[in-house]
Amino acid sequence: MSTAAPPHRPCAALEQQSEGLDDDAVHRFLLGQDNSPQKLRQQEASSELGDPFAQHLLLEGVFPRTAGEVLSALEQAVTADDPLRTQRFFLVGEGSQIADMPGSPVNRNLRFLVTCGSGQGGPDIMVSAFHPDEGTAEVMAWDRRTGGFNFYRTVGSSSAWVFAGNSRHALTAPTRDNGPFESHKSGHFIMKELRFPWVHWDSPAAKVSPSVFTAQNLDDHPWVRRLEPGGAYTLEDEVAIPSIQRWTQTRLDALLSGTSQETPKRLLEQLLDTPTVNLMSSITSSAAAITGSEPKVDLPDTFFVDSAGLVKVGLQPPTPLFVASEVYARSLQTFEVTLRDDEQFNRPGDTHFAFVVPERAFEDTETIAQAIDRDILSKRLVASLLMVDFPNPVFSARRRQLLQHVPEIADTADFSEQVADAILATPEASQAGTAENEFAERWNVGEAFKDTFEGLLERYYSDVSAKLETQEGFDDYMRLAESRRERVRQMPIAESKLLFAHTTLTLSGPTTMLMPDRLMRPDGTVEEV
Amino acid sequence: MAILTRFDTPGRLLELADGDREAWSDTVAGLVADVVGPFPQFYDPTVTDTPDDIAPSHIIWSAFPTRLLREEGAGEARWARADSVRDEQDEYCEWSIERDADGKIGRITFTTEVREYWKHVAVHERDRLLEFYHEQVGPQVSLSDLLDEDGQYVPRNRWNISTEGRLIHLVQGNNNLEAAIQLAAQATILRHDSDGKPVTDRQQLVRCGGLGHAFRNSDPQIAEIVNDAAALGAEITLLDPFGLYLDGLQSAGMQTPDGADAAAFWQIERGTREHALRASFAVPEDRGYSVGDIMINGRAIDFGAQVADKVRIRLSALAKPATHEPVRRPCVG
Repeated sequence: MSTAAPPHRPCAALEQQSEGLDDDAVHRFLLGQDNSPQKLRQQEASSELGDPFAQHLLLEGVFPRTAGEVLSALEQAVTADDPLRTQRFFLVGEGSQIADMPGSPVNRNLRFLVTCGSGQGGPDIMVSAFHPDEGTAEVMAWDRRTGGFNFYRTVGSSSAWVFAGNSRHALTAPTRDNGPFESHKSGHFIMKELRFPWVHWDSPAAKVSPSVFTAQNLDDHPWVRRLEPGGAYTLEDEVAIPSIQRWTQTRLDALLSGTSQETPKRLLEQLLDTPTVNLMSSITSSAAAITGSEPKVDLPDTFFVDSAGLVKVGLQPPTPLFVASEVYARSLQTFEVTLRDDEQFNRPGDTHFAFVVPERAFEDTETIAQAIDRDILSKRLVASLLMVDFPNPVFSARRRQLLQHVPEIADTADFSEQVADAILATPEASQAGTAENEFAERWNVGEAFKDTFEGLLERYYSDVSAKLETQEGFDDYMRLAESRRERVRQMPIAESKLLFAHTTLTLSGPTTMLMPDRLMRPDGTVEEV
Repeated sequence: MAILTRFDTPGRLLELADGDREAWSDTVAGLVADVVGPFPQFYDPTVTDTPDDIAPSHIIWSAFPTRLLREEGAGEARWARADSVRDEQDEYCEWSIERDADGKIGRITFTTEVREYWKHVAVHERDRLLEFYHEQVGPQVSLSDLLDEDGQYVPRNRWNISTEGRLIHLVQGNNNLEAAIQLAAQATILRHDSDGKPVTDRQQLVRCGGLGHAFRNSDPQIAEIVNDAAALGAEITLLDPFGLYLDGLQSAGMQTPDGADAAAFWQIERGTREHALRASFAVPEDRGYSVGDIMINGRAIDFGAQVADKVRIRLSALAKPATHEPVRRPCVG
């Protein structure tokens, strides 16, 4: 059962408290549950760690120090025809598409990701590191006994490994939100920029400039030469999506069989709250828009509504929305949009692809989608909840307000009805203007909600389209976008200042001012809260 | 690698007599000769040496047209439009669909075969042209369906124009070998904008250099990679056998009713695994279900374009170090 969250123990604490660990050993350190790292005896490790990384290496007494050593050790540990010999190399880095310029270094935060294995559920092992041969390495490995990913990392330059938890530890107290689960909110593999054009990733849509590798003394490194030609396109399809689906399916299996520690309420947190986000951008490059070579800039539909959620319950997403390139370019000037890292790089302009904004994370939409498919949640409930404050698909305090009414019950039968009944039974449900009242209106439309809800959506889409015709209207959307970006900057997944461009609205921007929260209204106007 | 003795047939197909394969090499050589003169950083590998240590650059993209994603959004409309007419399928890959009486998809056939090759077959081995159509479409095809009044092969004939049934080769206007060679050659030209600033952004480069559509997956990527190499003074060509290839199906995450790996349903019909030209996606009858029963991201396959999202296309290029000192030119587009 979920309980109140204990004091937050960030991932950094894991490293701080893991200094001085014994080399050539695996330690268990579940932040939130364990006070300190516990060296695992062979038998303990064997019973707890059912993934191929542990079984082929750690339990066999092999303790690599770097990501490169992990791959070498795995190659030696498995037979030539083992799927784990299938290695794929990927690269991400905020600002990685900025070509190197002598005298103007950029802190691109380059990270390699290597996957080992292949199959319908994605690879079994993912290795992440800033450098193949230096520094710490992080590993996620699918536990073939219990399901879920086991999270590991090295500490400093030692050969001590820390087991920091399994995906299931992300779901419930006392381990949820602690250690690796401050970023991996529901225990999933993270690819923030999941969808085309995968801003920040080396991909068919934007290759990392060769000059970047030269600047990092990596141009002849085997990992660079072996970078997957399909880049993020392959990563999305062959790794991220199947991995997320795999853990979601395992998690819901446990929930339905009564063997899970979580309750269905935890699923609704992923609908009513915004535990994490993905990042989406225009397909149009900022340079093409600013120079006018492209007359218009497409905008992510998920900035305006939760498209994936709406489609899942049978509602229409908006038709593509565009803004004139000259309007976009003027807005960049108005808000003094610049790219800057945390050192000396500072250049006017937006991210490589224009208008990067947060959208509801795929791990959350997939959870809700599978919950619908498996009759844990009804389409009517999900549609009614999504349509509360629908113009704010992420960071909606109004939708989050409804969470308090969701019953903490383990039984999934009639869960949707019980949620609806609980909200409808509140005094607020009959008070105009409340979230509960808005839900009641939506719910009372009944099972045949499609026409009514699409009527609301179409009016909204039409109003938004009209606003995008004007400079003032788009400037308001820039302010709203920056308000949402600021929320993301406060999240642990924000690891670089180059994640987004900076503006005069950014809290740490050149003309600092306190940023008010901004909300989209159903008429397409933006409200300052 | 040294000097190439001749241009091989697409996919290294062996179906032509040796003399006709030689004639195909002459056809490709003609296309290359057209661009070698005007574009000195593009070279003919049958004339100029390619050092053995030059690794090819494999350029990969999705068969689904990004242009439609931008114009139609991420919903169902983009798939419907891509499936509606072959002219929408502009990523050097086209597909056609076979459905059962209930409208459920049974097989999707993908091709990257260029029309130039089929014109070549029609000229040099006309007797076998019909044989090939019979093999790939069925016995209902007659020679008169394939030729015009002057006896010339008609690439967009009644059996190779639709998105239904079994297609033969590419017909969309930009999907041809000559266009791919022209693009690679023209992209060796460096550009500057009206302010004299170098044009390096691929979308801007495509517009500036008149190098195709800025929102195709293929053209801007090819243009950027070639342009980057040209900026270093290198010389560029394509990897033999010249052509566009099906690099494979990204099947992870496809859910089949019996848990089978959907990758097993991808069958290469022409070419080799390394150089696949035509492939189909169909479930063997003994499994008792069809493509329409397979789910992608929780949704049953109802459009060929859903699978096209997962089909990888490949073009391979070679860039050898050289000492050209290219001068940037103004935009032409």
